[in-house]
Amino acid sequence: MIRSKEIPPRPVHDRTKGQVFFPIDLMKVFLWLIRLRWMAVAGGLIASWVVYTEDRAFPTLVVQGTLVVISGYNLIFYLLRRRMSAAAPLDERSVILVAHAQTAVDLLALFLLIGFTGGIYSPLLIFVFFPIVLIGIIFSPVGCFIYGTLVVMATGGLILMGEMDILPPPIAMVQNSLFGDRFGLIPYVCFVGAILATGVLVTATASRLRGKGSDLFRISRELDASNTKLAALYEMVKEMGLCSDLQKLMDTATRHATRIMGVKGCAIKLMDEEAKTLRFTSTYGLSQDYLAKGKIDIDKSPINRQIIEGAVCAIGSIDEKDYFQYPEDIRKEGIASMICLPLRVEKKIFGIFCVYSDESYCFGESDTKFFSLMTDLAAIAIENLRSGLLKLWFMMKVSHQLRSPMNAVYTMLKPMSGEYLGPLSVAQKDTLDKCLKRIKNLGELINDLLKLGEKKSEVAAPVWYPVDLVKIMRHMQDFYQTQARQKTIDFRVQIAADLPKVHANEKLIDELFTNLISNAIKYTPANGRVEVSLTRATNDRVCLEVSDTGIGVSEKDLPGLFAEFFRTDNAKAFTEEGTGLGLSIVKEILDRIGGTVHVESTLGQGSRFSCLLPNAPNPQPAPGAPSAG
Amino acid sequence: MEKRGDILIIEDDRDIVSSMRIILESRQYQVREAYDGKQGYAKIEEKMPDLIILDVMMSTETEGFELAYKLQNTTAYKKIPILMLSSFPKKMVEEGSEKFQHLLGDYWPVADFLEKPVEPEELLSAVENLIAQPKQP
Repeated sequence: MIRSKEIPPRPVHDRTKGQVFFPIDLMKVFLWLIRLRWMAVAGGLIASWVVYTEDRAFPTLVVQGTLVVISGYNLIFYLLRRRMSAAAPLDERSVILVAHAQTAVDLLALFLLIGFTGGIYSPLLIFVFFPIVLIGIIFSPVGCFIYGTLVVMATGGLILMGEMDILPPPIAMVQNSLFGDRFGLIPYVCFVGAILATGVLVTATASRLRGKGSDLFRISRELDASNTKLAALYEMVKEMGLCSDLQKLMDTATRHATRIMGVKGCAIKLMDEEAKTLRFTSTYGLSQDYLAKGKIDIDKSPINRQIIEGAVCAIGSIDEKDYFQYPEDIRKEGIASMICLPLRVEKKIFGIFCVYSDESYCFGESDTKFFSLMTDLAAIAIENLRSGLLKLWFMMKVSHQLRSPMNAVYTMLKPMSGEYLGPLSVAQKDTLDKCLKRIKNLGELINDLLKLGEKKSEVAAPVWYPVDLVKIMRHMQDFYQTQARQKTIDFRVQIAADLPKVHANEKLIDELFTNLISNAIKYTPANGRVEVSLTRATNDRVCLEVSDTGIGVSEKDLPGLFAEFFRTDNAKAFTEEGTGLGLSIVKEILDRIGGTVHVESTLGQGSRFSCLLPNAPNPQPAPGAPSAG
Repeated sequence: MEKRGDILIIEDDRDIVSSMRIILESRQYQVREAYDGKQGYAKIEEKMPDLIILDVMMSTETEGFELAYKLQNTTAYKKIPILMLSSFPKKMVEEGSEKFQHLLGDYWPVADFLEKPVEPEELLSAVENLIAQPKQP
């Protein structure tokens, strides 16, 4: 495995560092704080009035004034919060700023109240712990430390101001304050210790939560990203599945891969049959100059040789190693890093799939893994189409070999029967024409056999899409009208208006119509009638009906009608033509597209073939949803 | 008797060639024969024919097409109409194989395409058409 030793992971922009609450959560905390303040103001107003009734020396006015100020700024925060919530997305910095503003103003108001209610002896002093806890949770440890220090200093200030008799005296109701009835260093140290312990405990707990929170955030973001990528991959595979042309399929793969991986470009290189050279068969985002190099000689390119032998090649920086024969070309193209993987199905490697980035160290471990999955899926799609085409090619060759001598015989006999080689007696010409008919029939048999074989062996798996039956039927009408007229058969086609499209493919529908209509014309004697109709059978089925006034099928022959090589005795008596494969092909096609066929026939009077064809599913069904038809 | 046109048949099956010769000569066409692409090209260089009847599969599967593209890309021979013959329907050749798909570009390098076996009347009418109307550049 070639791998540059250290590929640093792609830098992740972590917005969550040092923060446990996301802005949206902070907004909820704000609401809760605003409500708490209303309650505190209400409680404060009642309490100050009660105290005042007991102790006329209590500075009620100042305290209640402060409480009014608190409700004033609370109202401002309330309005501010409403405005911020309305603006989406939330501006993270202003949310944090408002959090600091609230904390600072609250602490200031609290210390004012403490000052007015007896300074160090105020029963309100106990409340300074709550902001510390909240600060520890919301802000970083440093923030908590700063606010904690301010609180400790403010408390110290209160002590000094108490000593200097600047503050009003403690209220009479308080017998013992937090610090007892006398100021001392030891109680103050204990207070500082308690603030410190609270701060440390809360920030430590919050830090752990914070870590978990940002982990969760990172995981959810990664999950989200990989979900998006997988959905895109699904789209890519779906689109590749619709390609019947190899070049289109590979172009689809490179275009999607470039987009999904978010890179500069992408390339598929396929190996020739002798495994000697690699050829750029499809590229996206690369310049013509870069591709002008043409074929790559595998023997001269050790890196390509290693990939062809199965190595994963992830190169963080082109400059790092002398992997390349021509690093200049790569640098000129603006490629800084790349991943190249073998296109492989089972153990067979037939090419290379590469993604190129213009940033160094663009690809991390997870990118390589994801690209590897993409490569495997692309490989299966390419190989599937290629093997289908190869099988078809083999069949074409077989057919060519079988038909060549037959064609030669036909071509030689035909000028003779056409009297190009001199006049013939009636008996001679008759015999020759019979020979020609037999040979022609043999040719049709070979064709039909190959078609049936193709369908049975699912060579080049067909692509399904909505097919417009009307277009194909009009074509049939034009084609068979002449033939019918020659036999003086009345040939009619009726097509219902607003016929839905059918879930199939044009080639199969074409063959289905051809087989049924040509059969009807073939087995209908002169002056007969052939009628074809296309109607909407049910909500999800179209009905194709082909009826004739032909020779018909006896009841005993009906069950075997769709068997291969089956020809009824009356059909054989009626015409030498016919291979006995037409109706088996019809059955095979209907089986494949999920249709059905039903036959009614009376010997000597005619037959009626009714086929039900599935409608195309409604446009754009949800991925993975069962199709409607 | 005045000859109506010079036709070069390039086809590896000599029996088919001789049958076509019989049919074409019956209408006073002058017929020359070649049995592979290389020989055919040499005959064209020797003397420009008025029409080429070209088989698809000869010593290689795509020899006919390769020759047709080669002629198409040669200014001097670009205007010679080509009637292509194949045992396969046109559609099958279009869709059939990676080899053909690679080879066939946006256009077919031939003026007409007939599926074998060809009826004598069909052959004659195609030939008449192509010789009567000079190929559009």
